[in-house]
This record gives sequence, C-alpha cells and structure tokens, in this order.
Amino acid sequence: MSAFQLALKNISGNAFRNGVVSLCALLLSAFALFTTLVIRGAESSLRLTIDRLGADIVVVPEGSEAKIESALLMGIPARFWMPADHVNKIAAIPGVGVVSPQLYLATLTGADCCSVSDMFMIAYDPASDFTIQPWLEEELGNGLRVGEVVGGSYISATEGEQNIKLYGYLVTLKENLEPTGTGLDQTMFLTFDTAYDIASKSEFQAESPLIIPPDSISAALIKVKPGSDPQDVALQIIQNVPGVTPIESSDLFQSYRKQMTGLLKSILVILSVTWGLSVVLIGLVFSMAANERRKELGVLRALGATRRFVFQSLLAEASLLAFFGGITGLAVASMAIFLFRKLIMVSLEIPFLLPSPVSLLIQIGAGLLLALFSVNLAALFPAFKISRQDPAVAMRE
Amino acid sequence: MITLDQVTKTYPLGKGSSVTAVGGVSLEINQGEFVLIVGRSGSGKTTLLNLAAGLTQPTSGKVLIDGTNLWDLTDQQQSFLRSQRIGFVFQFPSLLPTLTVLENVILPTVFGSKQETVQVHERATELLQKVGLMDKLAAYPRQLSAGQQQRVVIARALMNQPLMLLADEPTSNLDEKTELEIMGLFHDLHTSMGITIVMVTHMRQLVSYGTRAVEMANGQIANGHAN
Repeated sequence: MSAFQLALKNISGNAFRNGVVSLCALLLSAFALFTTLVIRGAESSLRLTIDRLGADIVVVPEGSEAKIESALLMGIPARFWMPADHVNKIAAIPGVGVVSPQLYLATLTGADCCSVSDMFMIAYDPASDFTIQPWLEEELGNGLRVGEVVGGSYISATEGEQNIKLYGYLVTLKENLEPTGTGLDQTMFLTFDTAYDIASKSEFQAESPLIIPPDSISAALIKVKPGSDPQDVALQIIQNVPGVTPIESSDLFQSYRKQMTGLLKSILVILSVTWGLSVVLIGLVFSMAANERRKELGVLRALGATRRFVFQSLLAEASLLAFFGGITGLAVASMAIFLFRKLIMVSLEIPFLLPSPVSLLIQIGAGLLLALFSVNLAALFPAFKISRQDPAVAMRE
Repeated sequence: MITLDQVTKTYPLGKGSSVTAVGGVSLEINQGEFVLIVGRSGSGKTTLLNLAAGLTQPTSGKVLIDGTNLWDLTDQQQSFLRSQRIGFVFQFPSLLPTLTVLENVILPTVFGSKQETVQVHERATELLQKVGLMDKLAAYPRQLSAGQQQRVVIARALMNQPLMLLADEPTSNLDEKTELEIMGLFHDLHTSMGITIVMVTHMRQLVSYGTRAVEMANGQIANGHAN
C-alpha cells in the first residue's frame, strides 16, 4: 500500500471535511473557469467581428456610433442614413484604398409578411465589397444574385427548405457564415440590388413598405492603402466630410470593451474574495479534521511513518479532494456555459464565442491547477503542524 | 536491548510552571524479557514506555537501543527503527477505521523496507490466523468487538517481525474473559517466539505473566523484582 493509496482510503472517512473542501474546490474552479470563458469568449468574439468586417475604418453618420456597435455586436437593428455621395468624397481622400457602402435595414416586427421579426439586414455593394464578397466567391464560386441572401450562423430557412419571407418577398438562403458569437450571427447579408428589389415590391406585398431613402447609405467601410496610417485617414475624413464619424477598427466596440473591463474588475474582486474565504475555510476545516485524527496520525508515527510521510499523506488527501471537487466544478461550469450561453449574452449584454477545444482544455487545466493550489495552500499549515507533533502527545487523551 | 539512563520528562503547564512525569529514571530491558511496568494512574508508566519507544523526547537523560542513542538519530532513522524493531499495542482503539482488518495488519510494511506484496499478504494472513481472526480479513474495525480489535492490533504489531513488543494497558478496556485470552496470547508470543515484551498496566494481578515487574510511583521506579 502506497502513501497515495492510504490517502485515497482515508478520504472516505470524513464526510464533513470532504464535503466542505470539495465544495470550495468546486466553487473556485467553476467560478474561475466560468468567468475566464465569458471574458475570453467576449474578447475573441469582438476580435473575430473586427476581422470579419475587414475594414480599417467604418464611417457612420455623426451620433450613430453606439447604434452600429449594438447592431454588429448584439444584432439590434440600426437605422441611420447619410448621403451616398460621401462615398466619392471619402474615396478622394489620400490614403483611402477601397470604400464600400452599406445599407442597414430591418425586417418588420410581428408582421405576417416577414417570417423573421425585427432582424438586422446588411445590404452591400458587390462591386466594392471586401467583407462578404470575397468569402462568397471562395465558397460559392460567385456572388449573390438578386433574391439571394447569406445568413449568420443562427439564420435558417423558415419557408420551405431554402426560403425566408421578407416584406412578402421570398429570398433564398444560399449559405451560412461561421459563428462569431455576435449580432452578425443573427444578421442577413444581401446585395444592394436585392434590397432595392424588396423595397420596390414591398409597397404591394408587405404590411408596411421597406423604405430606403434615395441616394442614401448607412455606412462606408474603408480599407486604407498599404503604408497609410488609418488615424491620419480618419482625421482627414473628419476635416473633409461633414456630419460623419470615422471609427478606426481598433476603436470599434470601445463602449463594450469598457463594459467588459468593468465586468472583469468586478469579477476579479469577487474571485479574490471567494478565493481568500475558501482558503481560510479549507484551512479551518483541515485543522479540525487533522485535530480529530491526532491519535490516528500518532499511531502512524508509532508504526514507523516519518514526519514527511504524514505531511505528504495529508497533502495527498487535500489534492485528491481538490481534484474531485475541481473536476466536478469545471464540468458544471463548462456545461452551464454551453447550455446557457445565449442567456449569458443577453443578461450580461456582451458577445460570446465558445472557445476552441484546445483553448477550453487549457482553461480547464488552469482551473484545476487553481483548485489544487488553493486547497494545498490551505492544508499546508495544518498538515505541517500535525506532522511535527510529538507522537506521544498526539496520542494522549 | 533498551537502556534508559537518568531519563527525565517534564511537561510545561504554562505560566512558567511544569510537571515532571518521569524523573531521573534508569532502567535496562534485556532481550527475551517480559517486563511489566505497574503503577497507579499518573505514576508515569505510560510516559516511561513512550520514552523507551522514542515517541517522546526526554527533557534530559539518554535512551539507548542496542547502544545507539535514539535522539542522535534523524526522524527518518528513528521511524525506520521503530517500524523494524518495535511493535506497539495501545490502550485505545488504534486501528485505522477506513482500512479493512487485512489492510490494517499490512500497514506497518508501508513504512519499512520494501517487501513483495505476495509475501506481505501471506504473512498478514498467517498472523490473523494466529490471533484467530481468519474469517475477518475483509471486515472493518467497526464490525469487530473490542477484543477482536485488540487481536488485530497485536497481529499488526508483529507484522514486521519486531524484536520487541511495547504494550500500553492492552487489556484495560476488555472484559475479564477477553483479558485472559489477550494475556495468553502475549504469554505465547513471549515463550514460543522469544519476543521481548514491555507491558504497562495498572492491574497488579497480571504481574505473574511477566519475568520481571517494575513498579512506578510519582515518576520514579519505586520497586523492581524478578518473578
């Protein structure tokens, strides 16, 4: 029988200690993993959204900054307009490589002529687009025709196998994009031609027509020329195009980043307090348990166990409890994240993307290490103290 | 075999006061003896046994085992010596509650020199047969009577084939019939196996089992005589 086997046998003997220590390990690891996954999931989601847009600068009408963030991140439909000739003004600015206009539209709320309610739609110009078009050409071999759409990962056909009804107009869902964990997953992408076709026919087919103001666009996505500084280009847009706000991709979602930083700080405080209390509680419970087992440990010393053996045996027990508690906590947290991710996104108002299996495994490993470290740290002093005790004193009544 | 040379053990009581449990005792225990240390409660007999076994450090004096001062050894050397040379039988229930009877008997081999698992199991089974508990190998201590538990403790004490058994009031919690059985077992171990036994007891009627009796009073040896 080894020290490990002895420890394994011994942990079956004290239900109270086992319960408290395992529960603390469970809470610590679950909380740590849950918060890490949420924060990292939100971060990677933001990063992926910016990558997906592929723009160095997004130009929107002045005062619409928050609306575009909400639309892209949470899928809340945005409606704002600026003159279409801004595209030419922007294109004339030195350093601007490509400018691509977009129209931001939405389906009707609770109307029979729309099979999806209040859904965000982005119409793009296939001639200049660098966000959807290259991906479509790679996936489908060509772009979208009139009456065709691509959807975010959550979009599915509601009418027949491939069709979705928008303003009484049947569009064909050609493909779904990879998930980003943001509002883009609930957004439909269509060409300008399709958008205008829906708008013109909606006057006769829809309960309420789709209105696209003439000679208007919602936003312009810009790719700067190689070697140009996006900050300089943004400054020139402010100086030359009145009534617009250029948002550099690095500044995009700043309000969400601030919200996440605040959330992270709160979580860190709660985690630190929980960790400190858990360590103290585990230490107390271990002290009590070790004290109860004073005689037993004295007997082990009399039978030939060294101080080191007793010390290691107690820490092995702590590690086993931390391991079992930690694994349970990590499983609970992973399952909660997987099952309730949509609820988390809505209640915390943050985007979220599930991590890759490798990243998840690394984070689970880190959570387990935290549980093992915390429980062993708490058990260190009681284990050391009891192992140094005189065996005769330990065995005394 | 064991020599206690002017051994004193004082326990601090706090606020500068202390109590002397054993004061300046010298005692020699030779191989093959069955020594009974008798005395009233609080006379220092258990402390003397603990000192002889190295379970507590003397405040002054020396404890020698085969000429080696026990307290010149490291913790590891002391522990190894205890596991290989000394078997313990305690007054209180000293079996580990989470281990079976067989596992409890095997326990001392965890701390001693490495032995083959098969041999360890054979020896443990043999010892349990000797103490009449072959049918209790898989039982847990809570499933045994006090007398049966004490038999398991004796089997455990013999597991590493020690030269000496130290027993502290091994029969004090047992009924008369079981006490006789346990004392018979000690007598048998001494006569048939030649094991040196040092037993602490407050029951004077057990003196007849030993080859020598040492009487303790107020932390001193009051009287000693051979049977």
